[in-house]
Amino acid sequence: MFKKRGKILLSLLLVALALSSFNGCSDSAAKDDKFEVSIFRIDSLPQPDPDNKIYKMLKDEFGVTFKFEFLAGDLKQKLGVMTASGDYPDLISYDPLLKEAGALIPLEDLIKDNCPNLYAHYKPFWNQVKEPDDGHMYCMPDYGRFYGGVSDLTYEGNGFWIQKAVLAEFGYPKPTTLDEYFDLIEKYKAKYPTIDGQPTIGFEILNYQWRNFVLRNPPQFLAGFPNDGDVTVDPITYKAEIFANKDIAKRYYKKLNEVNAKGLINKDTFVNNYDQYMANMASGRVLGVPDQHWQFGKAEETLKLKERFERTYVPLGLTYDKSIKDHYRDRSLLNLHRGYGITVDCKDPLRILKLFDALLDEKWQKIFDWGIEGEDYMVNEKGRFYKTPEQLKTMGDVPWQSKNKALALYESMPKREGFYSDGNSVRDLNQPEVYFSQLSAYDKEFFGKYGISSPIEFLNAPPENLPCYPAWTIDLGEGSDAQIANQQMQDLGVKYLPRIILAAPADFEKIWQEYVDAFDKINVKAYEDKINKEIQFRVKNW
Amino acid sequence: MAGFSSNQKLIKSRNIITLDVLKKQKQLIFMSAPLLVYIIIFAYAPMWGWIMSFQDYKPAKSFFDQQWVGFKHFEFLFTDPVFFNVLRNTICMSIINLVFSFVSAIGLALLLNEIKNIFFKRTVQIISYLPHFLSWIIVTGIVANVLSTQGIINEVLMKMGLLTEPVTWLSEEKYFWGIVGVSHVWKEVGWNTIIYLAAMSAIDPCLYEAANIDGANRYQKMWHITLPGIKSTFIILLIMNIGWLMNAGFEIQYLLGNGLVIDYSQTIDIFVLKYGIGMGRFSFATAAGVFKSVVSITLLLLANAVAKRVGEERII
Repeated sequence: MFKKRGKILLSLLLVALALSSFNGCSDSAAKDDKFEVSIFRIDSLPQPDPDNKIYKMLKDEFGVTFKFEFLAGDLKQKLGVMTASGDYPDLISYDPLLKEAGALIPLEDLIKDNCPNLYAHYKPFWNQVKEPDDGHMYCMPDYGRFYGGVSDLTYEGNGFWIQKAVLAEFGYPKPTTLDEYFDLIEKYKAKYPTIDGQPTIGFEILNYQWRNFVLRNPPQFLAGFPNDGDVTVDPITYKAEIFANKDIAKRYYKKLNEVNAKGLINKDTFVNNYDQYMANMASGRVLGVPDQHWQFGKAEETLKLKERFERTYVPLGLTYDKSIKDHYRDRSLLNLHRGYGITVDCKDPLRILKLFDALLDEKWQKIFDWGIEGEDYMVNEKGRFYKTPEQLKTMGDVPWQSKNKALALYESMPKREGFYSDGNSVRDLNQPEVYFSQLSAYDKEFFGKYGISSPIEFLNAPPENLPCYPAWTIDLGEGSDAQIANQQMQDLGVKYLPRIILAAPADFEKIWQEYVDAFDKINVKAYEDKINKEIQFRVKNW
Repeated sequence: MAGFSSNQKLIKSRNIITLDVLKKQKQLIFMSAPLLVYIIIFAYAPMWGWIMSFQDYKPAKSFFDQQWVGFKHFEFLFTDPVFFNVLRNTICMSIINLVFSFVSAIGLALLLNEIKNIFFKRTVQIISYLPHFLSWIIVTGIVANVLSTQGIINEVLMKMGLLTEPVTWLSEEKYFWGIVGVSHVWKEVGWNTIIYLAAMSAIDPCLYEAANIDGANRYQKMWHITLPGIKSTFIILLIMNIGWLMNAGFEIQYLLGNGLVIDYSQTIDIFVLKYGIGMGRFSFATAAGVFKSVVSITLLLLANAVAKRVGEERII
């Protein structure tokens, strides 16, 4: 009985299917033609809510649905399995390994011939997005394409961060050198040996796994160079050079050695893992860190929730002496090698590109950035966007985001930054109406003392970038001598720099010399040659 | 177990496989078939991949397009000064873990075996094996907190007056192996006792009764009955564990290690992750894997041979 009924049902279904496909043929509008895009992203994000309103709009408008897979476990292992099996999703976060394995298709002609918006979007950087070795574009960079100038009110980058309470205590000075900075910290720590009953920590340096750049990067800034990673680039000859074993680094670590002898550096700092670091930062007893803000931003959020605004931080653009101009901030950069690539398994690459092309329209960009007008944000009579107190609360609320934002797709997609053509800022926090309404009274007063409105103004406005900037985006090549040398240099830094800092001041020279000697055994030349070759390429072609 | 009445004929016929024997054992053969298939698919077939270690393997190229490089990757492995350092760390930490875990597990099993109050015994057992179910990321988090300058270890030692100022335990090279060993014991001791307790429960109670009549005390019973009773289990586990000597673990050293102790914390697996897979050098990673396997098999065979020589249980 049951079987028979099943058969009837099946044949009915088949008929219905056939009919509907006839129907599909007769109606040639592309909108009814559903398509699914599979995406693999190298970040570990939560799956979007099935009722997410933005994805629903995309489905209604373009007939597109998305199937996400996020990274769980080790990236290289995952990519290794993928390339060995040759099974790829349609869209994938770019990785040099994928390019090398021939998993990605060249995009430059498809974009140039069919996608006017995308082409206009990348046109100013057309030579940058193409790979130096074969001249093809494999990746659509996600961030760094600014329209109408940079709109930053917030700052997530490098600096010597200091607690607002320290500056407030000594009459709102603005230290510009390393010596002044540590003087303030020393004085404050002597005056307040404990904060909330716990010992005050003068200075904390994170040195945990891949986050070890906190320990290794600062010397270049102190010498007035921008963030080029492991090298400094001469602004006139464009010659790149390792700095980790040079005098500009020695000077910084010598200073750290001195302040460590005075007890300003946390004893645990080099054995702390990231969680312990964040716990210290969130406790509000760390006076200074040489970090990038996005690393400890979450800890600062905790302090803000507890309304301990005086324990939050501002960045300082320290240099070795007053004659050096600080160069911590940089001009907007296209985020090379980060973003989607299209794989060889994708059946209709052009359709995806056309979708991205259509989504670059301001109407859609506003939906991705701000949401739905009247629901997620308001527009006043002058056409300015703002948020009501209830809407402000949803910012950063993860469960809310999974229902109302399309972050899983959008974060990696080609997108506008800066301003819309109507003058509103793309990012809500960079919109003055939003930024100032979420600023606390303490912060307003604090910034008022300096005559500024946001922490970013503590740093110099960035000069023009060198044409080859930044060197850290250079792809060293998988498994190349340059990459091995780079890993060895990192290992050496992680091993020796803590010893150098913690050594008794009398032993400093000896251990520094050991470090430099060990450096000489590494094939540094392979690394410098590769960097210089790419820099020359960039200078010529970008 | 082999029975006391073993006659010569039976022993001899053991080595000759006849159709009759196969027929008699058909259920056993049938039952072992899936395992055999499993081993062929997941243990023998992947050994084909060892060929990669003689190539400069690039993903997505066919086998015939790969470039052959001979022993280049093995050369890199054996000439890198760091390699002998990580080899030493791996083996030393393995041995420390082996000794610690055997001593602690057998010790705890002996103690638990003496407890007559079932409720108390079960409670101790459950508490001691619960940490087994925690992942290393959690355990290392706990260890790092306990050992920090404001952690409980420093607090207690300072209150007792044994220390005048806190020690940063994780920054001292000389403590690292010990910390790893003790963390292993804390995490696994309860779990490891289970098998010994099982072996102890299989000991014939008559032996204890006879010993009682002969006037043996508790310690004598432990020494002369319980320990010999679990000896075969112990030897087999030891041989198997010697085969794992090249695997000192990865997570705990990776998560607890830091620059200050890197000369003592880095194991082969970490080295391979950094300089092999992490850079897409799959051939180099395979070469290290081949080396590890060869050493492991040699150690296993050696241990087995020694066990045979001294007349103990053995695996092969």
